[in-house]
Amino acid sequence: MTNIISKSTAIIALSTTVLLIGCANQTPNLQSGNVAYGDSQAVETLTNEFGSTDLQSIAQSMSNSLLQSPVLRATARPLVTVADVKNHTSEYIDTKAITDTIRAKMLKSGLVRFAVDTSAMKNQTDELIRQNSGLYKKSQSKKLGQMEGADFRIEGSITSIVKRADDVKDIYYKLSLQLINNESGVIEWADEKEIRKTSNQSMF
Amino acid sequence: MLLLSRTATIPLTIAFLTLALPGCSAMRSYDGELRQTVDLVAQGNIDQALQLQEQNNTNHDNDLLYFLEKGELLRLKNQYNDSVATWLSADTLVNEWENEAKIRGGAILDNIGAILLNDKTRRYDGHDYEKVMLSTQLALNHLLSGHWDLARTEIKKTHEREAIIAQYRAQEIDAVEKESRQKGVSTSFKELNGYPVATLDSLEVSELKNGYQSAFSHYLAGFVYEALNEPSLAAPGYRQAIELRPNTQLLEDGLAGLDRRNSDLNANTTDVLLVIESGAAPALSSVTIPIPVFYNNLGVIPISFPLLHSDPIRTALPHSVSIDAGIPQNVVGITSLDAMAKRALRDDIPSIMLRGVLRAAVKTASQRALMRSDNGYVKLAGIALNVMNVITESADERSWRTLPSLISIARFTLPVGKHTFSVMNSNGITSSESINIDGSHALVAVRTLGDQTYWSQPIYSGQMPVRVAQPSQKIETLDGDKSTRITPQASLNTQTRKNKTKKKVKK
Repeated sequence: MTNIISKSTAIIALSTTVLLIGCANQTPNLQSGNVAYGDSQAVETLTNEFGSTDLQSIAQSMSNSLLQSPVLRATARPLVTVADVKNHTSEYIDTKAITDTIRAKMLKSGLVRFAVDTSAMKNQTDELIRQNSGLYKKSQSKKLGQMEGADFRIEGSITSIVKRADDVKDIYYKLSLQLINNESGVIEWADEKEIRKTSNQSMF
Repeated sequence: MLLLSRTATIPLTIAFLTLALPGCSAMRSYDGELRQTVDLVAQGNIDQALQLQEQNNTNHDNDLLYFLEKGELLRLKNQYNDSVATWLSADTLVNEWENEAKIRGGAILDNIGAILLNDKTRRYDGHDYEKVMLSTQLALNHLLSGHWDLARTEIKKTHEREAIIAQYRAQEIDAVEKESRQKGVSTSFKELNGYPVATLDSLEVSELKNGYQSAFSHYLAGFVYEALNEPSLAAPGYRQAIELRPNTQLLEDGLAGLDRRNSDLNANTTDVLLVIESGAAPALSSVTIPIPVFYNNLGVIPISFPLLHSDPIRTALPHSVSIDAGIPQNVVGITSLDAMAKRALRDDIPSIMLRGVLRAAVKTASQRALMRSDNGYVKLAGIALNVMNVITESADERSWRTLPSLISIARFTLPVGKHTFSVMNSNGITSSESINIDGSHALVAVRTLGDQTYWSQPIYSGQMPVRVAQPSQKIETLDGDKSTRITPQASLNTQTRKNKTKKKVKK
């Protein structure tokens, strides 16, 4: 009899616990088990196309090289702008993503300043137009004609050579960048970053 | 009670499934259904075509083809939003295939129905060129609705989709070659005696790089990236279009003029891409050919193959286009979906042959086991199975039929405003439409099928491409006012330029 009572007590206790758990305000389960975060800096070799590792290594190499160039160190925080980096490959490589990363790394160094590039010019002019539209206090509106012209511009190109033989595909990328003095037209700095990727047939 | 030996149980199960399943997709004639739909579109009866589409798909669990065909019909009615919503349902299904393809690349027998009955019982994942065209057509809809950023998203999706297809097909080719070698099955389409091999072996088909990449999709990518001021992405778009369809002046001009065009455009002109879609995609029918197979001593077995039928009568090719009754300009056909469908089928033949042989092996083994039984009922099931095997052996006829057969383009720089576009086809029939042109870039699309012409009317709202900032123009100064006013399309430059402009105005 005691055994039956103790079993009944245990069942009631368990049921109550289950009910209480059910009523409790639980944190929703946000994990499916199929999604995981990875290291954004990890080496990616999923396919032989231009990837995150290529972008990161090019940006790192070029920003280091630029920051060490004597011409940028000779002037106190020179003003630089980014011009077009032409894509001469058949791959959809967003060269702006590369130059954006280079610019971010250089800005973090505090050694240079950047002027808005042509792609951001529309937003810049729109903002100035709005501030001078009469809607804002004149004393607090940013004045027209105060933008600064960049001392230097960065421009360049990315090219690739693709070769296939039997089961092997070989891709060679070369990114060339130049720093040009806007006033004199002198190329003050230039560097290249090369990448070679080889893969077997199942990857292409 | 009928007692069955263990050896008869498995063949009987197969016989049961074979006899029970024909009521479903295994016996559906997609060609028959869509022939009527395409006929209605060619007669200008889009509403009836849409009704028929619904009647043929009363099943609530609509498949990929339902959404593909319906989206196209809605687009022809200029119901871009409804068309986009329908195609996005199709896109979800393609996306599921993509996720699976990444995991099970090279899976050649992914459905038990394909072994027991025929390829029609496989889930319809769409031909590779259809998957790519889905994102291209979605991009066109977004452009016609004035949503260029959404079009960019679809175009980017196209590149990713092509990469997944390329990898999946490479793995499939490896798997089919390996399996064929093991089973001693020849999978060359040129050895199909009795099949019209010439339809798959023409120069137009052989010259294609593959069955899913189109010059049009990449040229459109170039145009959109150019409009959105992303020349580094526009260049590979034009370059890939040239690689996919070499020696085409219009495509080469796209790349050569990339740097020049933006500076040539002023605030009152628009870079217009005219897209002319003609005809309907080819139909698929089934042809059964006896194939000698040494695997499992099968002997000569009948295997069904899909056969493509082009529709040249209703594909009156666009010949020329004129704007505002000006001098007619030739249009350039850059993508033949007819040829792409043939190339896709040609590339798929080895896989179809291998599936056919494996299917025949399973069916023959079951049939032989039943016929060897002493039980009269089981023997009867064996005979019935034999009959049903002959009836159900049929190739997959499913394909996106309302797609055009040919895509042609022309490009103009036009003043902003209303213009009359006139397209003349190779039969001498001219169709004209007044279309409003606005913005820095615009897209005009027209579909011809039979004698019917369906014009699009672009909508200029949402996210239109902005004119590229041109520092050398559009700076206005107001005399008597110390401030400077800039027109919306204009940009600013340094103080020096502003002063120069001021001097000009004072003169």
